[in-house]
Amino acid sequence: MFASDMSLPNMLYGRVLKSAHSHARVKAMDVAGAEAMGAVTLTPDEVPDVVYCPRLVSIPEATYRDWRVLTDKPRYVGEPIGAVAAESEEEAQRALEAVEVEYEVLGASFDALDAMRPEAEAIHERIYLEDDLLDVESNVGCALDITEGDPKALEDADVVIERTYRTNRRYHNQLEPKSVLVRPEPDGGVSIWSTTQTIHNTRLLIHDIYGIPVGKIRVYKVALGGSFGSSIHVNPVVNIAVGLALKSGRPVKMSYTREEDIRDHCSYQMIFKLKLGANRDGKLAGGRLEAYLDIGAHQIQAYPLLGCVVGWWVSLYKLPYVEYTGKAVYTNKVPSCAFRGYGNPQITWVVETMMDELAGELGVDPLDFRLNNYIGEGDLFWGQGPSVKSIIRSCGVEEILTKGAEMVDWYNRPKAGAQTGRFRRGWGVGRGYHTSSAGAPVPSSIVDFGGAMLKMNEDGTFDYVSALMDHGCGTQDAHVKIVAEELCVPVEKVNIIKADTGTTIYDVCTHASRGVYSGGGAALKVAGKVKTQIREFAGRILDAYPHAVRIRYDEEGDRTVVYAEGIEGREVTYREVAETARHKNWGTVSALESYRQPSCPPHFTGYFIEVEVDTWTGKVKPLRVVAGADIGTVINPLLAAGQVHGGMAQGWSMSLLEDTPYDPETGDLVNGGSIANYKVPTSNDLLDLDDFTVFFADTYEPTGPFGAKGLGEGALNPVAGTVANAIQDALGVRFFELPITPIKVLEALREKEG
Amino acid sequence: MMEIEITINGRKRRFDVEPNKLLLNLVRDDLHLTGTKYGCGIGECGACTVHLDGEAVLSCMVLAVDADGRTVDTIEGVADVNNLDPVQEAYIEEGAIQCGFCTPGFVMTTKALLAENPDPSEAEIREYLKGNYCRCTGYVNIVRAVQSAARKLGS
Ligand code: FES
Ligand code: FES
Repeated sequence: MFASDMSLPNMLYGRVLKSAHSHARVKAMDVAGAEAMGAVTLTPDEVPDVVYCPRLVSIPEATYRDWRVLTDKPRYVGEPIGAVAAESEEEAQRALEAVEVEYEVLGASFDALDAMRPEAEAIHERIYLEDDLLDVESNVGCALDITEGDPKALEDADVVIERTYRTNRRYHNQLEPKSVLVRPEPDGGVSIWSTTQTIHNTRLLIHDIYGIPVGKIRVYKVALGGSFGSSIHVNPVVNIAVGLALKSGRPVKMSYTREEDIRDHCSYQMIFKLKLGANRDGKLAGGRLEAYLDIGAHQIQAYPLLGCVVGWWVSLYKLPYVEYTGKAVYTNKVPSCAFRGYGNPQITWVVETMMDELAGELGVDPLDFRLNNYIGEGDLFWGQGPSVKSIIRSCGVEEILTKGAEMVDWYNRPKAGAQTGRFRRGWGVGRGYHTSSAGAPVPSSIVDFGGAMLKMNEDGTFDYVSALMDHGCGTQDAHVKIVAEELCVPVEKVNIIKADTGTTIYDVCTHASRGVYSGGGAALKVAGKVKTQIREFAGRILDAYPHAVRIRYDEEGDRTVVYAEGIEGREVTYREVAETARHKNWGTVSALESYRQPSCPPHFTGYFIEVEVDTWTGKVKPLRVVAGADIGTVINPLLAAGQVHGGMAQGWSMSLLEDTPYDPETGDLVNGGSIANYKVPTSNDLLDLDDFTVFFADTYEPTGPFGAKGLGEGALNPVAGTVANAIQDALGVRFFELPITPIKVLEALREKEG
Repeated sequence: MMEIEITINGRKRRFDVEPNKLLLNLVRDDLHLTGTKYGCGIGECGACTVHLDGEAVLSCMVLAVDADGRTVDTIEGVADVNNLDPVQEAYIEEGAIQCGFCTPGFVMTTKALLAENPDPSEAEIREYLKGNYCRCTGYVNIVRAVQSAARKLGS
């Protein structure tokens, strides 16, 4: 059941009143017409005067706040300025149209660099950090500078390249538009079913805004129709629906249309100025990176992202000197939030592009250049910015790159050279990685722990409860596998229990590829504790030492048996253990564990991609892909390969198709919110089965559950860089702006070849 | 209000509907058959696919009154309580379901494809499914699932 499928008796349908202007002050709002139609309305002065941040993954010292449930100073087209609820969606829509709004229109900026000019209109005058009210200068919401090492290393480099890059602004286009159902409860609390990656942070935010005691807010886990980072923060519609439910005293459901959803969230557009130096010995000398993050109209924890961007950058390759300045800049666009990879696909595209350029300057093979400089086992790695660091203990980079090279016969690949025909082919290589969770040996500015509960049922099966969400990554399945493996039972004996904030212990969020590594770590912990109790009880029954009994699954009898080895007749099934424990009043075998991983091991990926460019149409086609991934122990090969397939598809369209540009005249999206004008690949735009190979490196992560690491994000990160390199190989043209659309290809060819 | 009669998942039902009511909304809101999904409402994503007289259609592009006197099958009618349909089984076995939101639409399209063409080539599968959008899987395991379903149904 998805949030958008839920309904309750006596429920109202809510609709959001959205700003028609990209920057304005609401001078007056008249809801009398809507109320005369019987609708319940909600205006900015009726919601609590609380300025919040919808994302609660970092600590307060790192969380800038500039949001209100409903604003009277909208800063992008589509920003919620009011809401109505009525007996049907249609009536709600009619009521919405009866609301009259008078705006004072203000100046707007649609580009990060423009917004920083002194004459640009201030988008926010003041924002909060903890209890402090900060002045915003030049529309810069927050900034981070870091320098490490000796600048001479870069100054003296044999080869230096400096370039400016600009990424696209991608819309998540998760298949389920954001949706919520809220029921006010007689005790003053609320029950919530919503599209979220974190039930516990949803509860905390509603508490912060509405002051309802935490325990009276119940947020239920429901299935999530894709998310890719777009529900790490609490979606604005949730806070609005709570307001409507509290005011009307009735359940309220709000489901966004696709056109509303595309004006609700998108990825960060980034502008990078990167300078990298290398020496003739084939080693990198250092680099300087300026990053401008276009965050849109509000911050969804842009500060930690500034840290992540530098972290992703410096953890790809060894850089003796690092100089970074990052700025998060407000614009009058839809607020940007995490999107699979959290800045990593963007910076990896840039670095992987420049690695090829540098290799060319040095006259070395781009693959060898990577092998010569990558950060691997024993090296320090920034898992989520400067405050989350750990040492890499497992690394399959070399295996991925050498094995992949063998599979595509890399060193004998046709030399692209000067092709002149209509169709031109090229090969690209690229690599990447992502953190698995934000665990670390010391506390950091990012909250990362989770929890799990496990109990043995009276028939010897198990109930598993965790607050982690499953949004398509196989997280819960992996947990069940981990628990089943530890307890020697088939997976069918482990039930996943539907849960909510009242019946689970805190888990921060299903994000950062932490579901398997971090959540699975908690699952393994509880399974271990439960196993110890089973041994204890079985030992009593068998009159054997608990630490000496052994456990095996008896396939024929479909039962798990605890036994004392070599001693005839001393065996007892799980079912008998559970029954005896009940009859003798020993209690329930059960465990609860709140757990933080001490590390954030990177999972590594590498792609080899062959493309064909049609120089008449500018269209690029994938011909062959070999993708390798190091995810430690592979818990579910089918789902893991599925993550790579999905990563490839998203990376492919990031490279070539997706963007949400704005029309400065209307202040709205050029596509007017229609996904008919937001191209993504369909089943026949991608590779045939035989042309797409996925393999896994043979590694074991010592800190992971059964040696496992994450995968979701690393599967995507290298794709854009690899595709760009393949296009360069085919055409001899390098592109510094994403997406590489047919028009850009044709223009570049015209410039080069006339 | 118009009075219409539709055979939904094998049962005759009568409704009073506004002439502008979409089949999608009739199915989801009035019949609570929420397996059929809304993904875009403009015929772009295929999440709302149902069968109209055995043919796959986008229920967001069909008016309920246009289904009058006809047969509509939704994902809920595909399996009985105890047994999944072979197509559903194949989707599960091949790992073709990640978030699952697109799955009902894909299953309905796949069933229509296999009814028309029991042994489709990979290219035919990809072509037939191109109106169904999936953001999670990259379609690889979905294509495999269709192939496996074809084998199941063929044997
Ligand atoms: S909802 Fe009908 S095609 Fe998308
Ligand atoms: S499985 Fe998520 S959209 Fe297809």
